[in-house]
Amino acid sequence: MAEQRKVILEGKGLTKDFKGLRANNEVDFTLYEGEILGLIGPNGAGKTTLVSMISGSTSITRGDVLFKGRSIKGLKPFRIGRLGIARTFQIVKPFPHMTVLENIAVGAMFGRRGTRHSARQSLEAAREITAFVGLEKVRDDPADQLNVASRKRLEIAKALAMEPEVILFDEVMAGLNPKEIDKAVDLIRQIRERGISIIVIEHVMKAIKAISDRLFVLQHGEKITEGPPEEVLSDPAVIQAYLGKRYQQLTK
Amino acid sequence: MKKSFIVSGVVVAVAAALPFFLGNFTLRSATDILIFAILASSWNIIGGYTGYASFGNIVFFGLGAYAAAICMNNLGLGFFPALLLSGLVGAAFGYLTGLPILRLRGHYFAIATLGLAEATKALVQNLGITEGNSGMYLPIPSLGIDASYRFFYYTSLGVLVILLLATWLLLRSKLGYGLIAIREDEDAANSVGINTTLFKSTAFSLSGLFSGFAGAIYAYQQGFIKPEPVFTVASTVKMIVMAVFGGIGSLWGPTIGAVIIEVLSNVLSAHFLVIHTIFFGTIVILVILFAPKGVSDIFRGRRKVGVAYFLENIRKNKV
Repeated sequence: MAEQRKVILEGKGLTKDFKGLRANNEVDFTLYEGEILGLIGPNGAGKTTLVSMISGSTSITRGDVLFKGRSIKGLKPFRIGRLGIARTFQIVKPFPHMTVLENIAVGAMFGRRGTRHSARQSLEAAREITAFVGLEKVRDDPADQLNVASRKRLEIAKALAMEPEVILFDEVMAGLNPKEIDKAVDLIRQIRERGISIIVIEHVMKAIKAISDRLFVLQHGEKITEGPPEEVLSDPAVIQAYLGKRYQQLTK
Repeated sequence: MKKSFIVSGVVVAVAAALPFFLGNFTLRSATDILIFAILASSWNIIGGYTGYASFGNIVFFGLGAYAAAICMNNLGLGFFPALLLSGLVGAAFGYLTGLPILRLRGHYFAIATLGLAEATKALVQNLGITEGNSGMYLPIPSLGIDASYRFFYYTSLGVLVILLLATWLLLRSKLGYGLIAIREDEDAANSVGINTTLFKSTAFSLSGLFSGFAGAIYAYQQGFIKPEPVFTVASTVKMIVMAVFGGIGSLWGPTIGAVIIEVLSNVLSAHFLVIHTIFFGTIVILVILFAPKGVSDIFRGRRKVGVAYFLENIRKNKV
């Protein structure tokens, strides 16, 4: 089914070398419109590097990224952000001394439709998003006073405010408790309902299984498999590589 | 919001009335304070709001001074066209040098700006048009003595008021939000869609514009300029101390800092001719330790002063 839908973001043979270390090797991926694509893999598998290559904050050694059929390789991060690809950071990057509302408004000011919004209009637009992600109670607090869960939400809200077509979520659930994870899962689903296509990097298995239409797995910088979540997670190679031998024994 | 408008209005009105109560000598000191307030507030745009601590902002002042001299002597322009051009020279210089050196961050940026100022001074010392180390004379204003003191005071005050208004507007504009976002986290700012290179250079350019105005006023008032005093690093340090003392990243902070530092150092040097710098240094250190966000926080009545905050600050910054 998914194959008949329109492709919005595509990676072709993406390779990244950090001096001697190959962080990503010939990675191909396809993100369809309106899809949630889960990206999993053990620590150091090159997941964040892949996101950084897509968003332009790391240069691409070899390969290409196509957004709506057009290459975005070599563009600066702000250009890619304005085209409509937003990202969150694994280690959250709020603007610490700005209020929550201002943080979100900055996303609206400079994002995809940024040139059409004045500072005041952006602050207005940010109010709606503040409510959408459930941060209205702390709207006027400085961002550095938020707890972990709210910081993750703020990171999501900033990306959302850019009115992107694609969002790359880099471990937005790490460090959350089970209840907060459920809320985050709901939030990501609601974001998809807004018509945004999503790539999610996550270690929380329960969440990634619940959320993703498809999964793809990186190990040592290479894609080892992709497909529907149940299929991928029961693949012996994935269990071996990612979840470890012990998990395999436990689930037998 | 409205209250701060009224307070600002009263302050400007008092400043505008001062020449009617002050003698020429004091008025001249007040003009110097205003010129330093312009420099410190200009520094605040790049150092305070954008988070790039420039140690070479005096280069704009020096270039402004020389641009004014050349415009008036060689091109035969009047003072106000020369003033305008001097600011534009500072702005253009800031924009063009900003493109490469604003790629550097932290200490490296500070060192690069320091080098930029020193290199420019060396250039001015060796060029024919600037008459090297012998300095340049400027035309003498065709005003009476009292009138010319007032003229320089009001010109400086006018530039400072325009600068503060511009900064106020800046803080409400997308440019202002963008600059503060860059200060807070440059990588996040970039990925949120901010053209950081353009924004930083624009900030450096604005800083150069107003510092250039200050240089032109100084040159015309002085009547004679030489490379050493108008490009001296000591002035950069002074404007930074004023901005930090008053409160970096706040609208009125650098102006408050300029007034307090200048008045304090004048009073101290009048009473303690030899050791006034020791007292002065001690006071500056105490304020930085106990009110690290500047004395403007005290004026605003924020409880960010005192021993508890001092200890918190030490813990946070590992002093």
